[in-house]
This record gives sequence, C-alpha cells and structure tokens, in this order.
Amino acid sequence: MPQTISQQLMFAQALSAILETVINQFLGYNLHGIRALKPLSEKTLTIKLAELPFPLSFTVSDEKIHVSSNDAHNDCCLITSISSLIELKKEQQLTDLIKKDKLDIQGDLKVAQRFADIAQTLDIDWQSELAKRIGDIPAYKLGQLGRKLLKTLNFAGTKIQADASEWLIHQKRLIITATEMSYFNQDVEDVEQQVSALSQRLEQLTKHISKLS
Amino acid sequence: MMSSHDQNHPINNDTSDENTTHFGFQTVEKNEKESKVASVFHSVAQQYDVMNDLMSFGIHRLWKRFTIDASGVRPGNKVLDLAGGTGDLTAKFSQLVGREGKVILADINSSMLNVGRDKLRDLGLVQNIEYVQANAQYLPFEDNTFDIITIAFGLRNVTDKDMALRSMYRVLKPGGRLLVLEFSKPEHELVNKAYDFYSFNILPKIGEIVAKDGDSYQYLAESIRMHPDQETLKTMMDTAGFEQTSFKNLTGGVVALHKGYKF
Repeated sequence: MPQTISQQLMFAQALSAILETVINQFLGYNLHGIRALKPLSEKTLTIKLAELPFPLSFTVSDEKIHVSSNDAHNDCCLITSISSLIELKKEQQLTDLIKKDKLDIQGDLKVAQRFADIAQTLDIDWQSELAKRIGDIPAYKLGQLGRKLLKTLNFAGTKIQADASEWLIHQKRLIITATEMSYFNQDVEDVEQQVSALSQRLEQLTKHISKLS
Repeated sequence: MMSSHDQNHPINNDTSDENTTHFGFQTVEKNEKESKVASVFHSVAQQYDVMNDLMSFGIHRLWKRFTIDASGVRPGNKVLDLAGGTGDLTAKFSQLVGREGKVILADINSSMLNVGRDKLRDLGLVQNIEYVQANAQYLPFEDNTFDIITIAFGLRNVTDKDMALRSMYRVLKPGGRLLVLEFSKPEHELVNKAYDFYSFNILPKIGEIVAKDGDSYQYLAESIRMHPDQETLKTMMDTAGFEQTSFKNLTGGVVALHKGYKF
C-alpha cells in the first residue's frame, strides 16, 4: 500500500514524541500527578481523534507516560474529536456527548476517568519552579513583573476593544450594536409575517375570483 | 579503502564467494570481517549517540519510535534487541513491557554493550533488562523464546545475514515478529544522488571531526551501499522462514523497516 506524506515524514512519531516530552515535563513539576500515576501502572488509554489519521496511545510506566501512535493494545479507547474532548472538561458532559454520538468509549471507563483526574491535578506553581533554577528573589521579581505585564495587557486589551467599538460604531458607522441588530431582526420577522399574511389573503381572493367566473 | 569519490563503487553487487564477504567495498575473508567490524565499533562506541544525532539530524529517534510503534509491544512481552548497541530501543521497550516482561540487550561488541549498560543504568532502567554479548548468527537462546526481535542498524554488519535471519527465526515464539530497521535504497533518484554525496563526502568528515575517526564512517557509508535493497531483504526474510513479510520506507527509503512473523 503506498505511504502517505504524513507516514513518510513520520508525523505521528514526531507528534507523539513532542506530546510525551511535554506531558512528562509537566508531570515532573507536579508530585500529585506522579503519585496519581501509580494506580494506572501499565495501563493504556487510546484516543482516536477525528482530526488525526492515527491514534494516540498513552501508557503509564513507573513515573512516566509513554505516547505512541500504535493501538495494538489498550485498556480503554475513546473515539471522539478535539472539540468534544475539550467539552469533556465540563462536568456531566459524558452522557450528553455519548447520546449525541460525539463520543464512543470502548473498554474500562475507570482508566479514562483516572487519566482525566491526572490531567486535572496538574496545577503547577511556576514561581517556585523558576525559583529552583534562578533563585528566590529573581523568581519573585520576574513573577511580579509577569503579573504587572498581564494586568497592563488586560487593561490595554479592554481599552483597545472599547475604543475600537466606539470608532467603528459611532464615528465611522461601519458596524451596528447588538441592540440595533436585534431591532433589525425583529423588523425582518414582522415583514416576513406581513408578507405571509398578504400571500394567504391573495390566495383566498384568487380562489374567490375563480369561483365567480 | 576505496576513494570516497569513486562513482563506480560496487553498489550491492554480490561479488563474494563462499569464503569471502564484504567489508564496505572491500572483499574480505569471512572470518576477517567480524574482527574488522569489531574494531570499527570499539572505535566509535563512546561517540556513537552523538554521531547518530549529528549524522541523521536527530531523525534516527523517529525511525526508532516508528519501529517500536510497529512492534505492537505490550506488557509482559519478552523482547530481544539485537545489535542493540547503546540501548535506545531497549530503554523504551523496558518501560513498555513492564515488570512482568523482559528485554535482552544483545550486541556482539563489548564496547557498545558497556556504553549501553552504563547509559541505561544512569536512566534508572535496571529491573527487567539483561545484557548478553552474542553473535546474531549463533544466538545463545532456546528455541521459541521471544515475542519480538528487533535489529536496528545492525544487520548490514553481520557476516552471514541469511544465517542470522535463520537464527532469529529459531528463537522467535510462534506468533512472534522480527523487525529489521536498516538503511536502504532511496526511492527517488534525486534523493539517491544527494544521499550519496552526503554519505561519501560529508559523513566521513563529520566522523573525523567529532569522533576523530573518518575511516569508520567511510566504512558506514560503504556498508550501507552494499546492504541488500528493500525487495532483496524481504526475499531473504521469506527464505529464512518468516511469513507475511512486508517493509515500509521511511524518509524516502533512506531507511526501511522490514517486518516478518513466525507462525
């Protein structure tokens, strides 16, 4: 069978290598995550995403997660899409997604739940991780600078959004407000009803004229 | 040793008779090849990993990942990583077969085996790995022992490849599979030419600068050209008894992964 470009370029292996490195780096920063791996030792969760032409399997061994693009063996398999996978974060979405055929689960559901628990326990204290590498005071200063920068960026974002709205709606009149849009929609619905009523009236009149003639 | 610019080098011509074989482009006595290959690997063992990354631009890691994905390894499996060298495949297999499984790292060369053992121990991988110095032609294991055998970038250095394949077949369990990852023949002529230029002009220079051993990397380039192409190796595996044999070209056929089962 001819190989696709993605197979030739080993896209699956490159993606699984990157995912494996990132996940294990995150786990390395978080003791709770590593502890949570123990009950999952030697268990494999396979995820088949609609957007990817290959599966992704996550196998736990000791204190690491191995990622591969092979689904020869797994304890649980999720067949879904990236958007549904994100929706799974919200509570009580599981049944809804299954009912809507957006998610199919094969195998041991507990394995999938435990993997999801690990993902949620990955709460990393970046400042203390940074302090281990560059020292307490520089890490504190960098954290402070980061927070200040974030605050400034948030403020700038809000300000730019407000100014842009003002300019586009009131000065240049290129776009309309949500209220104006809603009024317009209402007007369109009214016209639609009137046209429908008029068309029924015309139909009746046509029938009446044809009877008379 | 033949000139690196020799465009008439004997690509894959079987000029060996019963008592002779190839060592790169040279024809040598069969009993001489083993010691010549041994001296190459004694020389490059310490710099092997660095050189692999440099020569393949790190792509060898993806080729090895592809091999592990294709092996279908699962917890409890017994794996033989033949010509395992510095243990890249063994490290991954060891974590995937778990406590119930076992991985044997086998190599004919003691220097490579020592580097591999030190590296794996430094990674904390000790519980399910055994080290065996073994010749692929005379594997010192009982019949039907392994679920998976891999030989990555090792088969071309074996003196009698057919004998080695038969030996691997013998020690595989029924249902087991052999995976041969090896340099092969690029599919497109343009890639072939570029690859030839790189192998004979640049690769020995990198070897000379980094590993202080240009000759060994000259041998590497020559041995790749003398290795059987994809179809020939597949036929050799069929002849040795393997079934459902197939191969997949990687990076345009620069490397191919052959797979065969024993039933």
